[in-house]
Amino acid sequence: MSAHNRGTELDLSWISKIQVNHPAVLRRAEQIQARRTVKKEWQAAWLLKAVTFIDLTTLSGDDTSSNIQRLCYKAKYPIREDLLKALNMHDKGITTAAVCVYPARVCDAVKALKAAGCNIPVASVAAGFPAGQTHLKTRLEEIRLAVEDGATEIDVVINRSLVLTGQWEALYDEIRQFRKACGEAHLKTILATGELGTLTNVYKASMIAMMAGSDFIKTSTGKETVNATFPVAIVMLRAIRDFFWKTGNKEELGDEWLKPELFRIGASTLLSDIERQIYHHVTGRYAAYHDLPMS
Amino acid sequence: MAATRAGPRAREIFTSLEYGPVPESHACALAWLDTQDRCLGHYVNGKWLKPEHRNSVPCQDPITGENLASCLQAQAEDVAAAVEAARMAFKGWSAHPGVVRAQHLTRLAEVIQKHQRLLWTLESLVTGRAVREVRDGDVQLAQQLLHYHAIQASTQEEALAGWEPMGVIGLILPPTFSFLEMMWRICPALAVGCTVVALVPPASPAPLLLAQLAGELGPFPGILNVLSGPASLVPILASQPGIRKVAFCGAPEEGRALRRSLAGECAELGLALGTESLLLLTDTADVDSAVEGVVDAAWSDRGPGGLRLLIQESVWDEAMRRLQERMGRLRSGRGLDGAVDMGARGAAACDLVQRFVREAQSQGAQVFQAGDVPSERPFYPPTLVSNLPPASPCAQVEAPSLVGGPWRAEPPGHPLQVPWPVVVASPFRTAKEALLVANGTPRGGSASVWSERLGQALELGYGLQVGTVWINAHGLRDPSVPTGGCKESGCSWHGGPDGLYEYLRPSGTPARLSCLSKNLNYDTFGLAVPSTLPAGPEIGPSPAPPYGLFVGGRFQAPGARSSRPIRDSSGNLHGYVAEGGAKDIRGAVEAAHQAFPGWAGQSPGARAALLWALAAALERRKSTLASRLERQGAELKAAEAEVELSARRLRAWGARVQAQGHTLQVAGLRGPVLRLREPLGVLAVVCPDEWPLLAFVSLLAPALAYGNTVVMVPSAACPLLALEVCQDMATVFPAGLANVVTGDRDHLTRCLALHQDVQAMWYFGSAQGSQFVEWASAGNLKPVWASRGCPRAWDQEAEGAGPELGLRVARTKALWLPMGD
Repeated sequence: MSAHNRGTELDLSWISKIQVNHPAVLRRAEQIQARRTVKKEWQAAWLLKAVTFIDLTTLSGDDTSSNIQRLCYKAKYPIREDLLKALNMHDKGITTAAVCVYPARVCDAVKALKAAGCNIPVASVAAGFPAGQTHLKTRLEEIRLAVEDGATEIDVVINRSLVLTGQWEALYDEIRQFRKACGEAHLKTILATGELGTLTNVYKASMIAMMAGSDFIKTSTGKETVNATFPVAIVMLRAIRDFFWKTGNKEELGDEWLKPELFRIGASTLLSDIERQIYHHVTGRYAAYHDLPMS
Repeated sequence: MAATRAGPRAREIFTSLEYGPVPESHACALAWLDTQDRCLGHYVNGKWLKPEHRNSVPCQDPITGENLASCLQAQAEDVAAAVEAARMAFKGWSAHPGVVRAQHLTRLAEVIQKHQRLLWTLESLVTGRAVREVRDGDVQLAQQLLHYHAIQASTQEEALAGWEPMGVIGLILPPTFSFLEMMWRICPALAVGCTVVALVPPASPAPLLLAQLAGELGPFPGILNVLSGPASLVPILASQPGIRKVAFCGAPEEGRALRRSLAGECAELGLALGTESLLLLTDTADVDSAVEGVVDAAWSDRGPGGLRLLIQESVWDEAMRRLQERMGRLRSGRGLDGAVDMGARGAAACDLVQRFVREAQSQGAQVFQAGDVPSERPFYPPTLVSNLPPASPCAQVEAPSLVGGPWRAEPPGHPLQVPWPVVVASPFRTAKEALLVANGTPRGGSASVWSERLGQALELGYGLQVGTVWINAHGLRDPSVPTGGCKESGCSWHGGPDGLYEYLRPSGTPARLSCLSKNLNYDTFGLAVPSTLPAGPEIGPSPAPPYGLFVGGRFQAPGARSSRPIRDSSGNLHGYVAEGGAKDIRGAVEAAHQAFPGWAGQSPGARAALLWALAAALERRKSTLASRLERQGAELKAAEAEVELSARRLRAWGARVQAQGHTLQVAGLRGPVLRLREPLGVLAVVCPDEWPLLAFVSLLAPALAYGNTVVMVPSAACPLLALEVCQDMATVFPAGLANVVTGDRDHLTRCLALHQDVQAMWYFGSAQGSQFVEWASAGNLKPVWASRGCPRAWDQEAEGAGPELGLRVARTKALWLPMGD
């Protein structure tokens, strides 16, 4: 795991002038999808890389220890071993980046991963997930309990009402407190961009979250009506780049950013799609559903 | 487990995360070339034309240099054959109802849809442009163009009543344009009933393929004929007797030369010159999105040329940093690779840009290049040039030598065009200065404005002197939006209603004939003013006619301090008018320029009110005007009718201008596109000799109504009526709106036609004068309307106040306003 983002003092001048042009970002999003494709070995390698970015997640009311256990095994073995062998990638230790569950299931996940003999981090959603509409006190307590149970990554949701009413100082303070409550665990801040109203707000919320010391900023909980979209991702990536420029870090958002310590994809059905693609790449055939183990 | 197909490299790619090649198969393009035995001729009258004993030029893959085919070069007789085929086809094609043409165009769109892979791979293979841009952009737009113009054709009888197709159109395309440029022009031409002969540069197979697809549709084989040949064929095609209009796109200097050589010839000329675009980045912009706008404009194979980038000084550092960082992530490579931003455009384009960059560097400019670009020729990296002030010699091409005396039509030196893929960035301080810098070039193509403040964006959008303005976007196009330019970018239009009128003429007007006089000496035409002597005492009509040149709102003595006699119909001396000269024209144009911003800024309603006030003043002066007309030989009744009709014209144009411009709704864009009708600027009008009052007023009224200011030369036979009107204008109008200069007609015409700061010129007079005006207009490429000695029925509604005047009196601007939050 990489070091923590220590954050900075709140500097509202970083967000006061920013304007994001919505139609222009939509056009850019369309272009990105049409301008960069990868094929053949490149496609296979990129897909395997994507696997290592996935937070393999289950966030359902009916989660029990048995399906958590299954999920953890899938996280350890995301792609069928014979397919990896065919690609000469079986010794690369390809696993998903983390397993993500509700706080009440953290113990199950930690136990299952230990049994599987691997050190994939367990991420727990917290802080009133998914709506964030609970008292700050209980939200902080939720984080502390999840950390106690063994979660090493905490996915908090931000208080959208603070964004929509422009209370940036209050938002900064809240996330600062989340940061403190996390202790050594990584703080992953979910912006729930589908509920922020504008892309300009997405940029501002991203910047505040990073100033307050988030290690990751994530688009969405998966529970809003609109979740991760290309335009939103573009705006957040631009915000991350600006944050690093401002804090004196020379890194740019290029290939250097593509490692699991710095980049995550919170989509779980994606994994089975990737595995099917890899199957096709290796065998030249399209897989039946039963050809690939479920998670 | 089935046999594995995985390559050995996945391991390394997993670590490096590099991009790999995504080649698009061009087998079908090669197969099509094979059907022609790798030898392309011309496509004329629905058949391949492969005459013997012709030179051929190899068609090469611009990246590998591999010979793909050889292309026969047309000669004069091939041109004649193609024009003849188009002329024969015109008879049938234009006689069919619009619905039939609409069906044919729709069928062509369907054929393109069915064979689009062939079209896009062939185009990308031969031009080296990124296949993504051809496939997702050009080919789709080509089909939309056909569908849009099919709809226009089907409603032609109602919507375009009073207009008829011109005839055979000669279309000339330069080497760096895509086949889409041809589609923009042939679609409206074919839709309204014209037929086309296109001369494409050697080794451009895509237009030939299109012609073949169109030709094989059946019943109208000769409507689209494509020849490939060298630039030396351009004047030959342009001067073919059957050609009614030449639509030329290419370099400004070639356009200028063609304008000169076509003076007095039969064909009309529409010019679309230059490829450079402009981007204004203000300090309220979404800078990252604006940087993407720069990529769209210069580094994505969308636009044909380079970009001038103006950045507000307060965001200069931030914008340059983002720009340079973005450039580093651009990819260039073989056009047929699906994952590149930019292809390559062959050795010639590479030489051009190398020369430009070397020049710029030697002038002290900073050059930044970046991106993932193959190092070998003809690839060239995205290039950002800064610190190149407009006054540096690099920004100007060499002035042509000063031989030819002060009356050369060639202005001294033009700013060099920014070539692909170069962006020249320079700073500005305020929005006002941005407009000054942006408008301070002879170009008037397209520009984009990046600002999140609505008021500022509109201020800049309206203030830019260009044909197209995009607000917070760059390079959007749609068949229903007119695209064109002004100033030296040429004033021809394609797309939208304006594109249709390019190929139409008012029904029933006599065919435009050649008025070429081979021995007209351009150097001496109207140069000297014959001296005028006193012709005896005035036998004073009362009240005495006003004396002087009406400039800047008052009567002034002429610079030459001499006068010319005016005689009435029976040969008696009617009075003396001032003898205007070059200096008086200079003063009049200056006065008109001073008045222009105020007048153009008035609402149409305010302008109409003043025109109506002038109409009322004319009616009050009716008896004087009628008696002056009587002395010119008119009957009293007719004279009074002429005065009344003149007043009506003023009122009619005042009312008509209220409804100009409209909003367009474009597929795939949220938000409106405004089609604005803007004044041209200072309009020079040389009035006909006949109808001394009515013609003067009929020309004055639309010009002023649309917000132009004018310099007018009244009827030479009887300028007194115009001067009478000036007396009223002096009291009704602000100073400088209309300036009237009397004197020797040819001399004044010469001064106006050669004036670089006159934005348009209308000439109603002799064939020789028309030829001179057309020739001289090449200087600043002002649009001209010359009567070529044909009289006009000014008292008829169609000719005296028809839609043709409304069309010529203003220029279109398309203002794109994408919306969303």
